[in-house]
Amino acid sequence: MFLRRKQKDTQPLARGESVLSPDVRRQKIQDRIHYLKQQIYYSKWCMTLFFLISFGAAVNFRFLPPISEQAKHLLGEAPPPTLISVGLIVYAFSALILILGRMNTGSVRFRGWSHIGYLSAFYLFYYYTGLLRGNFWSVFIAGLTILGLEGYRVWSACSESIKKEKEILAILDK
Amino acid sequence: MFNHFASKAIVPVALSITGFVIVCVLILYSSIKVDFLRDAVRQETSLARTVVSAIRYNMMTEDRESLDHIINSIGAQKGIEHLRIFNKEGVVMFSSEPGELKRVVDKTTAGCIECHSGSKPTVRLGSMQLARRFVNARNHNVLAITSPIYNDAHCSAGDCHFHPPHQKVLGTLDIGLSTESLDRRLLSLRWKMVFFCIMVLILSVGGVSALLKRNLLTPINQLIEYAKKVSVNNLDKDFPKGISEIETLGQMYFDLAREKKCAETKLINIKKADNMSGRKGG
Repeated sequence: MFLRRKQKDTQPLARGESVLSPDVRRQKIQDRIHYLKQQIYYSKWCMTLFFLISFGAAVNFRFLPPISEQAKHLLGEAPPPTLISVGLIVYAFSALILILGRMNTGSVRFRGWSHIGYLSAFYLFYYYTGLLRGNFWSVFIAGLTILGLEGYRVWSACSESIKKEKEILAILDK
Repeated sequence: MFNHFASKAIVPVALSITGFVIVCVLILYSSIKVDFLRDAVRQETSLARTVVSAIRYNMMTEDRESLDHIINSIGAQKGIEHLRIFNKEGVVMFSSEPGELKRVVDKTTAGCIECHSGSKPTVRLGSMQLARRFVNARNHNVLAITSPIYNDAHCSAGDCHFHPPHQKVLGTLDIGLSTESLDRRLLSLRWKMVFFCIMVLILSVGGVSALLKRNLLTPINQLIEYAKKVSVNNLDKDFPKGISEIETLGQMYFDLAREKKCAETKLINIKKADNMSGRKGG
């Protein structure tokens, strides 16, 4: 399964495509290069989005209206800060292990969007408990590490694949 | 730079280990800070209760001179930034700062708002809710506690003066202690953690780099040198040994070079034979 995924992600063209005409093949390679470049852009956009959310968290979400008593009653009591911190450590550890695993398989697909959701949830939990100021840096560094490593993984795998695709394209152009 | 094998191997390891250690250290620091603060608040609450107990008799006998003297003596102690008692209306009745006497406390400020946020003031709060941190006029960091002075049977039925039994809170004692020692301890802890992070980073990056250099980079460089030598027909079995994969590659280079040399020798012999037969025939 892993091997098959790896082949799919890293091989320039699937088996049997050599019978295609050079123009079709060239088009396929260009599409693939476009897809790989898109993955690198996604990682950059994801990091930018995280910085924007973090900026909001750094100013304690001052631009948001204060949580009404009714909403507080509806949401219930805030979780204990220790539990949120333990959750953050477990999340950061699992996320890093998963990214290192993906690095091992050579996958080129960017999978960082979900992390934006998780990290925002941690900011919101700390905000709700009123301890965001004291815990901002831990969430920020966790996000920076996770998205940085994911970005590096995608950039590294995609750059390699783009190089290979360009080499094939150069051969076809000759 | 990032295309080198060493950076490709070290960057992910260094990034993940350092990032994770920093996150853990920040959470640990935040947790220790909360514990330190809770301890300081507990001590300060205990001190406030001791002061209230010590002045209770003077309050009941309305001995204002002794009360003033006690407040001034405690307020003059090292580390105590302020000590004041204000009545239910918020008028400062006794204070270690003579200039504050008869002044009205703003109920919307930190330390007061916790009880006075609603239409009816809260009678009892937890110790953490009674604590507040701020920087005072002398530019000192202060941790202050407001401790309510509750009504009891002796106060409401006293001969000297009278408080109605339904009045739950008679006044409030406000004590502020300098957090200099706490801040110093936290700063020292912060530096220790920074050193710890740097050491982890050096150990992880240094360890990975040393292992990579010893087991991979040096043998690969030796293999490259060997391949260069073999490519110019310098046949010897001096390829790097110790790592089985590198050794296998070296052996394969050697076999390939030997076969190439044999083929070349055969080709030369065939050419020579052809030349000889050509001359004979000619």
